[in-house]
Amino acid sequence: MLILTRKAGEGLFIGDDIRLTVLEIRGKQIRLGIEAPANVVVLREEIYRRIQEENLQAAKARNEDVQEVAQLLKQE
Amino acid sequence: MPPNPQTTGSDPAVLTVVTRNFGTLEVRPDQIIWLNPGLLGFTRYHRYVLIEHSRESPFLWLQSLDKSDLAFVVLDPRKLLPDYQPGNLPQVMKELGVTHPEDLKVLVILTIPPDKPQEMTANLMGPVVINLRNRQGKQLVVEDPRYSHKHRVLPG
Repeated sequence: MLILTRKAGEGLFIGDDIRLTVLEIRGKQIRLGIEAPANVVVLREEIYRRIQEENLQAAKARNEDVQEVAQLLKQE
Repeated sequence: MPPNPQTTGSDPAVLTVVTRNFGTLEVRPDQIIWLNPGLLGFTRYHRYVLIEHSRESPFLWLQSLDKSDLAFVVLDPRKLLPDYQPGNLPQVMKELGVTHPEDLKVLVILTIPPDKPQEMTANLMGPVVINLRNRQGKQLVVEDPRYSHKHRVLPG
């Protein structure tokens, strides 16, 4: 992992078009500003992992199970 | 490497894809849905097609055209929650370039645990939104306390 030290107000670039700025340091919290193109996904890590994990689980769906849930839903 | 779709001899624009669930599919360019960025965990794959599960079933398959064994079961979330909103709607429409609300397709991805289909859940936090006019779409992340990534579909 690349480790850099920055002060409030300083920033860094990732490639040509992603800019990260340290806006404020307050106690244990740091406010970051992120400027990135619209097609770059920027999420808090725990949210990113939650959605990613759910997609990975969803990709395991089997046609026979879908058949069954369609039946179950019809009975509702 | 996953097998890549190949063009057929008769019409070079038509993709022929051999899928896990649907056998061989022939897909016209005007049926291809582009997800950019791709689904989290599958960001390398951008081209999909929507397939009806069956006429009476509310489910659709979102089948990848770039990875033949990758497919998701999806559903119109209004079938679960009639007032479901995929985040800030005007913002979503602007991002996708949707000018008429009827051109916006919203789908949620279902997780169906193998052998326990009655425990299926819908990911209301990560809807897929598609502009039907140009078939460009993406997965949103909706941070709303009302919407769980594991919304139970059937009663326990």
